[in-house]
Order: sequence, then structure tokens, then C-alpha cells
Amino acid sequence: MDQRAILDHQFTVAAYIATWVIQLGYLAYVGLKWRTAKRAERANSAGPR
Amino acid sequence: MKKMATGFYAAIVVALMVWGFYQAIYVAPDEATMHEVQRIFYYHVPNAIVCFAFFAVSLLGSIGYLTFRRSRPDWAQMGDAWALAGAEVGVVFCTVVLITGPLWGRRAWGIWWTWDARLTTTLVLWLIYVSYLLLRRFAAGPQMQTLAAVLGIFGALDVPIVYMSNRWWRTQHPAPVFGGDADSGIKDPTMLAAFGWNVLAWFAWGVLILLLRYQVERKHQKNAAVEAHEALESHV
Repeated sequence: MDQRAILDHQFTVAAYIATWVIQLGYLAYVGLKWRTAKRAERANSAGPR
Repeated sequence: MKKMATGFYAAIVVALMVWGFYQAIYVAPDEATMHEVQRIFYYHVPNAIVCFAFFAVSLLGSIGYLTFRRSRPDWAQMGDAWALAGAEVGVVFCTVVLITGPLWGRRAWGIWWTWDARLTTTLVLWLIYVSYLLLRRFAAGPQMQTLAAVLGIFGALDVPIVYMSNRWWRTQHPAPVFGGDADSGIKDPTMLAAFGWNVLAWFAWGVLILLLRYQVERKHQKNAAVEAHEALESHV
């Protein structure tokens, strides 16, 4: 593998990894918001504080 | 039943993502001039297409909110939730486009970034929707949703400009792959298939996280309404 091919490979891997880090990071953020909303829902259905 | 349907859909999405990845990395051949780095195309372009689709969802949600905010408050709240979900998921996809693009450009053009029309209008689009999300995060009061809806509608005006930018102006960014001049289009059927599978896979993924985000926002709206009602009752 020449230097150019190695760099091409590294940039391609970096782009694919960056894509998945962003997408899965956002999914985790939505998951955390879901948990918070669920807890608030349970607290509200338990009656007025 | 709803949980089972969501699980089934999520399984289909995962299968599509794996298949799309396999097509992009192992089936599609190396492009003649850019070689391996051209495979970024199979993630970069589908993410851009899905980003446009979700900003359109945000536009429709914003229009819905403004249309029904007085006559049908429930519908207006649903429109607002769609507007927020579309904008947020659209920003995620746009971020992917703005990161994978420079990684590809560095190898293909020798530069990370240039202020050409396609790149600049895409960055402006991202900034508009980030400002939309910041407005929703930090502004308070009954006017916030209305202001956000107006900003969402103005933001969506940039989408056709981004799409047409490399047709209207001479750009560093390549000419349109589809719908450009007579030479446009992907000639190799395996490359076309890899592209098609990845568009489908990213669209399916996007719909999954869009629906999740919409449901979270609806829960948040309902909780806020209950809390406001309780606060009013405690003051009576």
C-alpha cells in the first residue's frame, strides 16, 4: 500500500466513524430526554405535589 | 403492540444499515480518480438528502403551528413538536454532512474548506437551524413557539438555495450527481445500488430517531401542561 492509499483509507475510516459517533451520540441524547420525560410523567400521574 | 412494532422497525433499520455499509465498502468498486476516499460519498450524500427531508418536516410543522395555534391548540402543539423534531434531527444530519465533506475534500481537492456557494450555503443552513434550537432552548414564554415557527420557515428558504447552488454558480463542489447536465448520474450499477441502499438505510434511520424525538417532545409538552395546571390550581 502506498502512502496515498493509506491516507485515503484513514480519511474514509475517519468519515464513517465520525458519522456514527454523531448519530449514536444523538440517539443517546434522545434516550436521556425520554427517561427524564418518563420520570416527570410518573411524578405527575402520582398526583399533585 | 406499539413497542413490538418499534422493535421490529428498529431491527429492519439495523439490517438496512449493515447492508448499506457492506454495499459501500465491499461491493462498490473504487472510483477511477479518487479511489477509496470516494466511498465517503455513500454516507455524505444520503445524509445530505435526509437532512433536506427533515428540514422540510420542520417547515411543515412550523406552518401547522402558525395555522392552528388559535383554532386548534392540540394540533398546533403537534405541529410544534414535529417542527422541533425535524429541525433537531436535520441539524444532526447536516453536522454529519459538514464533517464528512471536509474529510473528503481534503483528499480530493487538497483543502479542508473553501468559501464556495455550496459549502457556504450549507454552513449558513446549519447555523440558522442551530440558532432555531438555541432560541427554543433559552427563550421562554408563550411567544417562543411562534418566534421559533417563523425562524423555522425562514430557515427552510435556504434549503432550495443549497440544492441549487452548484447549478446556479460555479463551485469547487462537484456538479450535481443527479439531475445535472447530460453526463450526470452514476454509470456503474453496483455504485448506484450502493448509493440507493445507503439513501434508504439513512432515511429509515432518520425516521426512527425523528419519531423518537417527536414522542419525547409530546411527552414534554403534556408534562408541562399538567405542571402549569397544577401551579394554577395551587394559587386558587
